[in-house]
Amino acid sequence: MESTILKTINFNAYFGENRVVKEVNIEIPKNNVIAVMGPSGCGKTTFLRCINRMHELIEGTSTKGTILLNNEDIYSMHPILVRHKIGMVFQRPNPFPNLSIYDNVIAGYKLNGMKISKPDKDAIVEQSLQKASLWNEVKESLHKKGTFLSGGQQQRLCIARAIAMEPDVLLLDEPTSALDPISTSGIEVLMQELKKNYTLIVVTHNMQQAARVSDKTAFFYLGELIEYDITKNMFTNPKDTRTQNYITGRFS
Amino acid sequence: MIKIKLKSMTQFETEIRDAKSEVINMWQLVLSQLTKAKDAMLSFDKDLAREVMAREKRVNALELKIDRDCENIFALYCPVAIDLRFLLAVLKINTNLERIGDIADGIARYIANSPAKFNKDFLASSRLIEMYNGSISILSDTQAAFEFENTILARTIFSRDEVLDTINKNADENIAKYILEDLNNINEALNILSIIRKLERVGDQSKNIAEEIIFYVEAKVLKHQ
Amino acid sequence: MKPNIQYRLGKSKFFKGLIIVLSALCTVPLFIILIYILKEGFSKINWHFLVNMPKPVGETGGGIANALVGSLLIVFYASLIAIPVGVMCGIYLSEKRNTRLANWTRLSVDVLQGTPSIVMGIVVYFWVVKPLHTFSALSGSVALAIMMLPIVVRSTEETLKLLPDTLKEAGLALGLPYHKVILRIILPCGISGILSGVILAVARVAGETAPLLFTAFGNPYFSTNIFKPMESLPLLIFNYATSAYDDWHNLAWGAALILLIWVLLLNIITKIITRKWRVQF
Repeated sequence: MESTILKTINFNAYFGENRVVKEVNIEIPKNNVIAVMGPSGCGKTTFLRCINRMHELIEGTSTKGTILLNNEDIYSMHPILVRHKIGMVFQRPNPFPNLSIYDNVIAGYKLNGMKISKPDKDAIVEQSLQKASLWNEVKESLHKKGTFLSGGQQQRLCIARAIAMEPDVLLLDEPTSALDPISTSGIEVLMQELKKNYTLIVVTHNMQQAARVSDKTAFFYLGELIEYDITKNMFTNPKDTRTQNYITGRFS
Repeated sequence: MIKIKLKSMTQFETEIRDAKSEVINMWQLVLSQLTKAKDAMLSFDKDLAREVMAREKRVNALELKIDRDCENIFALYCPVAIDLRFLLAVLKINTNLERIGDIADGIARYIANSPAKFNKDFLASSRLIEMYNGSISILSDTQAAFEFENTILARTIFSRDEVLDTINKNADENIAKYILEDLNNINEALNILSIIRKLERVGDQSKNIAEEIIFYVEAKVLKHQ
Repeated sequence: MKPNIQYRLGKSKFFKGLIIVLSALCTVPLFIILIYILKEGFSKINWHFLVNMPKPVGETGGGIANALVGSLLIVFYASLIAIPVGVMCGIYLSEKRNTRLANWTRLSVDVLQGTPSIVMGIVVYFWVVKPLHTFSALSGSVALAIMMLPIVVRSTEETLKLLPDTLKEAGLALGLPYHKVILRIILPCGISGILSGVILAVARVAGETAPLLFTAFGNPYFSTNIFKPMESLPLLIFNYATSAYDDWHNLAWGAALILLIWVLLLNIITKIITRKWRVQF
């Protein structure tokens, strides 16, 4: 029996009066890759951003309901602490352009003012870059700025930066939609590796990617969680007609 | 707003629809082969039998075309869920129908090579005619079940196939009796026995087809049960 | 058909030519000024000129040491005031697009930019000079600072607005508190734009005369006390150029050249910084 690392209970998210995430109840098991898919505007990105409390940074937003990380309510914790435990990788790779690769990876510690010895820092940088499958490509140029890297490499740098903080959960918001197919498949292979140590929640528009990469898939439509099942089952025999219509491309 | 497309179909939906109608064409072709072979047998019409043998080429060509079309759809569209199950079923049904086509061709060959007409009474008493009509009706019903996604109709195939199995089992006895009546009957009897065996296989193939239809519509696997 | 096309092509060529000519025309005043001041001022500049005090009328020699140091000090203190306030204001404006405070601030900054410099001088006279009962470099710095503010605020705001939102999001997602995101990520990324704005502001106020008339006032002696009146290059030029003495005219030409070189250098440095320190995305 897999243990649950993240659980939402009757979770709702609002933009002003507008409810965009409606009564979502979902349990995310540890060391899995969970894909979240759905048509545009279905609330999947908003839902993702609520998990690391980035949604509330927008003016006029609010939430209702509970999200538990390891049975702790994240809305009763300090948001900074939540974001240390739940990392995020964005759609467009965004390494800090004024910092070197080394400093980028260690940014979570350094910019937060956490004091670590140089050997520890070196170890963290090397391990994170190894886990992100980027070490061999950049180990000679750690002190150069990261902007000469390709799109796929930059995205892996962002992943290394996020996992350097040793989060419990890693959120990925359409991580490969700005990348070419080869970089995309590199990241997908990486996700399979990462799930050994972390739990990944991936929002994706690309259904084949959701099918290839995830253990379980959640289908959102108009803010509601319509179906949540093992990926194999969802793609061979979905239970809900709306899911079936979406994955067979009969939504317009 | 998200609407479900009713009017204009995507290329993918068109290809699925075309695959379905191709398979139904295959059904009709094979059914007509089987029926013509029966008529050739009953009226000892060698010309009709040869017509069936010539048409076998069309059956094979259509099988290849359907296989190729399915392969293209898989390559281009990555179908999932019901579309995936539909295409997998189409591939298997295609093979089953081609085998039935082979059987019709085989029966026609017997007629074409047979020196004399078959004894009508024996055809009736060995229940060959009953079996033949039964197998054609089963095959025809599988087509209807496929076309209208009618799994209830598909499920009736199993019990009706058992009737064919019974006739097949009793055939040994009947044929033996016929041979003992008159040793000159041996060739005719052996041909009739072969036709009975072939028709039993038609029933089996139809049963397989029914299983595939139920798989594709209900995602239930009934094979090997 | 053909003649019509020829005519239109001709018009197009004429238009392009006109643009080029008028642009060239814009550079003419600059070159004339440069050449003239170079001609007049070059011979007056030497080491003595830079380190000596102005001599009383009648004596030859003399220099602009007090004005040079005075200008540097006044502008320095003005920057000390204007840069923190301006940059912080720019940060606020780039973050909040539409709040009432933001809109009012933008309006104020724009009005400030258009305020005549002499009005600035008079206002600071009443705010600082009168209460302190003395002219002072401090009041001069205050006046110049107020004039620097709009440039610093605007360039900071525009620079930071150009930075993609994803940069801030990346920082916040790492669990950085807001102030750290601004100070350690956003500002460093925008440093080239902000710095160039600051330097442009300095170049602008370095040559302002009117605000200093009633504030720093001028001082024939060498002084580094900010609570006392102080000489500055523009003031010196104003006073000496309008005087009747040839010696003083010479000093004024030399000072004008120095000022020009100063402004030119600052602009060139700005261009270099903008190109070298620009952060690529």
